[in-house]
Amino acid sequence: MTAKIITITFVIAISCLWNQTRGQEIKELTESIIRSEMGKGVSIKQEKYTIPAKAKKNAESASKQKFANDFIYIYTVSNKGKVTSYGLLDNVYGKAMPITFLVLFDTKGNILSSHIVKYREQYGGEVADKGWNKQFKGKNKDSDYTVGKAIDSISGATISANSVSKGIKKLAVLFHEIF
Amino acid sequence: MYYANNFKPLLILVILMTTSLFAQDDFFTPKTGVGGYGELHYNNNTFDTKKAEKKLDFHRFVLFFSHSFSEKWSFKAELELEHNFVSGGNGEVELEQAYVSYLPYNWLGFRAGVVLAPVGIINEIHEPPTFFGVERPDYHNAIIPTTWYGNGASVFGNYKGLEYTLNVMEGLNSEKFSPASALRSGRRKGYLADATDLMYTLRLDYNISSAFKAGASATYNKARGDSSTIEFNLVELHAKYSKNGLYAVAEGAMINYNRGSVETSTGYYFDLGYDINRFIKSDWQIIPFVRYSFYNTASTVRNTNLKPDDFAYTQIMVGLNILPLDNIVLKVDFSSKKRKSNDEETKSFNLGVGYMF
Repeated sequence: MTAKIITITFVIAISCLWNQTRGQEIKELTESIIRSEMGKGVSIKQEKYTIPAKAKKNAESASKQKFANDFIYIYTVSNKGKVTSYGLLDNVYGKAMPITFLVLFDTKGNILSSHIVKYREQYGGEVADKGWNKQFKGKNKDSDYTVGKAIDSISGATISANSVSKGIKKLAVLFHEIF
Repeated sequence: MYYANNFKPLLILVILMTTSLFAQDDFFTPKTGVGGYGELHYNNNTFDTKKAEKKLDFHRFVLFFSHSFSEKWSFKAELELEHNFVSGGNGEVELEQAYVSYLPYNWLGFRAGVVLAPVGIINEIHEPPTFFGVERPDYHNAIIPTTWYGNGASVFGNYKGLEYTLNVMEGLNSEKFSPASALRSGRRKGYLADATDLMYTLRLDYNISSAFKAGASATYNKARGDSSTIEFNLVELHAKYSKNGLYAVAEGAMINYNRGSVETSTGYYFDLGYDINRFIKSDWQIIPFVRYSFYNTASTVRNTNLKPDDFAYTQIMVGLNILPLDNIVLKVDFSSKKRKSNDEETKSFNLGVGYMF
């Protein structure tokens, strides 16, 4: 009996720890960002979306950046049955580790907001700065995303700023290709 | 029955682990990455009244290797070939970084291996497109001995814009310290480094805004030679600003030695640049800049035969960094460096092309 209790406690402890450290952190963070931007009452549908080859190629050549994966996540946000916005969740690479970011678009492909969901390196985390991300608001596939010109560079995060800025442009072009 | 009951929780555990693993795989896939940077330089230096010395130097060819094992565990390495060719003491092959990193939280991470000393702006981030001028600033040669690397470990983190690092690594060789080059020749570069007295660095940086970052570091080591030790501490301040096309950098440091012929070394520099692409509708970044620099590797001395003014230099530089893409830079600079004691002047004209990926 004692052994059983110990085993169960151990299993629960390990599971909690496992889930805390490896759980669905990104999905939860993404949904909470969407709710804080679009309202608590919205309904959110998540879909793992395989990017069609042609759309992928066009977005990559326009942004001068490759997709990290063949898929992205699309969050369809609706309010009272009507689609109000789309969230595109993707990874770009910093120096060595992926940066998971979310771009919210209106139904026409204009950026409502951009967010860093997860940053995994020591330096360059300032790309998550809200003020810096505000610069992307209103941009679309035709906008200028050049860091140092249309987008402010970040002191101490040159590489990440360039990477994220291209990543956002890539999603803006992709949005136009797939919707 | 007993065993069956006992295995039930294990089964649950397996299911839980599998479910969360699948969930995680969607957002994170272990990946091996290759990157690098390099820089070709043309240096034209005229010492005083002597004839100009002209050189073409593929100064650095660097390969980065990285691997992310999981969200939290990663590896990074930087392997460098300096001056294109290695033979009999010329050119160098250096393993400047090779560490395993564990970052369980943004506010707490660890790494161990070959690490960079977290001192100043350029030692840790030194890809050519990230700094002004063809060569790294003289300050980062004479006062901060970049690239400063060795075997060691760090604890680091980032909390609400405050970044902190405590680094412990191999110490320096005190017998190689010199009035003309301060700490520089004392670096052991990870070669079977003596671990009797380790070097400690504490660094703090604060992101005041995305445009403005400022910080400081303090380093202490009881540096050992074969027959003597010199304790030194290095305190430095640094700040970087960039917004609306304006770029400004300022760094300054002081090194104190408890014995030896030199008592202190000091230095500082300022950079100011402005991206003029906004006036000419260019996609290229075109950044003219100016630099003012001063350093003295023996600013106060114990040995009265040494004259501090012999080791003091001021430099004025003007130049241009052109970035056709954010990962490629074309550079040109002109500078005049004067020695304080006799006004001996070195005029330099440098051209460079650099890249990173």
